[in-house]
Amino acid sequence: MGHLTDPVAAVKPPQAPATDGELPMVDQPAVPFVEIETLRAREFIPAAKEALGSLLQEQAQGNLIRPVFNWAGRNSLFPLHWGLACCAIEFAAAFGARWDAERFGIVPRSSPRQCDLLIVNGTVTWKVAHKLITLYEQMPEPKWVIAMGNCATGGGPFRTAYSVVPGVDKLVPVDIYIAGCPPRPEAMLDGILKLETLIRERGE
Amino acid sequence: MEPEETQAYLAPKLGPKLLAVEPFKGTAGRVRFESSAALDVFREVRDGLGYRHLSMVGGIDWVDHREVFYVAWTDDRKEYLLLSTDVPSTDPRVESAVPIWPSANWHEREAFELVGITFDHHPDLRRLLTPDGYEFHPLLRSFKLHEPEELEVKTRNV
Repeated sequence: MGHLTDPVAAVKPPQAPATDGELPMVDQPAVPFVEIETLRAREFIPAAKEALGSLLQEQAQGNLIRPVFNWAGRNSLFPLHWGLACCAIEFAAAFGARWDAERFGIVPRSSPRQCDLLIVNGTVTWKVAHKLITLYEQMPEPKWVIAMGNCATGGGPFRTAYSVVPGVDKLVPVDIYIAGCPPRPEAMLDGILKLETLIRERGE
Repeated sequence: MEPEETQAYLAPKLGPKLLAVEPFKGTAGRVRFESSAALDVFREVRDGLGYRHLSMVGGIDWVDHREVFYVAWTDDRKEYLLLSTDVPSTDPRVESAVPIWPSANWHEREAFELVGITFDHHPDLRRLLTPDGYEFHPLLRSFKLHEPEELEVKTRNV
């Protein structure tokens, strides 16, 4: 039998290569394998404690739950339904029948407490600046900001006007800038998909 | 109502404070008066002539002086009447129309912030469209466009 391959080694699956795919595979956490059915109650509690402890330890290092949340979060971005100017018309058109942004899991919500994406679509004046900051601060973490259109990006044609914020990045941190006056709904969807890539790369 | 009829009604009540009533296209005329008689003019125009609605207040910067104008409307005859008064640029000041027409409130706040005209006895003369702490009157001829960064430092109030 010496010339034969070791049967145990043959059935052992090859080591999975380290991929940076959608869900990075983590090493199997050291969860003790226990036969739940055969455990008595007094044995179950310490075993469960040990299993939970090792799970929590993995989670504390950030490689157990975080990829799941990252995957779930980036595929269900909820933008705030806050229209400022003509870009909001394109924003609304993106959720209509023709472009149907909901197929990417993008659902506009009316409360900042339920949102994780702030799309600034329009000209921001200094009068409304503190309201924008308040809305941003009311959103739960993690949160992202898209500056949609030339006005939100850099003031647009009103850059030198007496009341316009020259770029919304002076108020809140911006992740994605979308050019256009106004950008078409395809451009907005492209920006959101690029944001999804960005979230995956950052691993937030 | 013709401008002559308006003048015939207003002249005995206002005396020399009424400067002229001119024809003005699309309206019942334009009443020019001294700014010191503002409240009397407003009261006569509303109660005597029946212009119960004030649809607009605005200001114009004519470099050597400034003008405050009012647009009144009457539902009885379906026509507008313009009221206009000149104030000096050094002390642009006129009595507020809010006690006569409450709708003047926000219009006067706007004229105050954009053209710099002070309305005496206004109940709440704050800036309307520009942020609190803003230093400029942007619709004056002397206003220069600023670099955005410079303006940011002066107007940021968040």
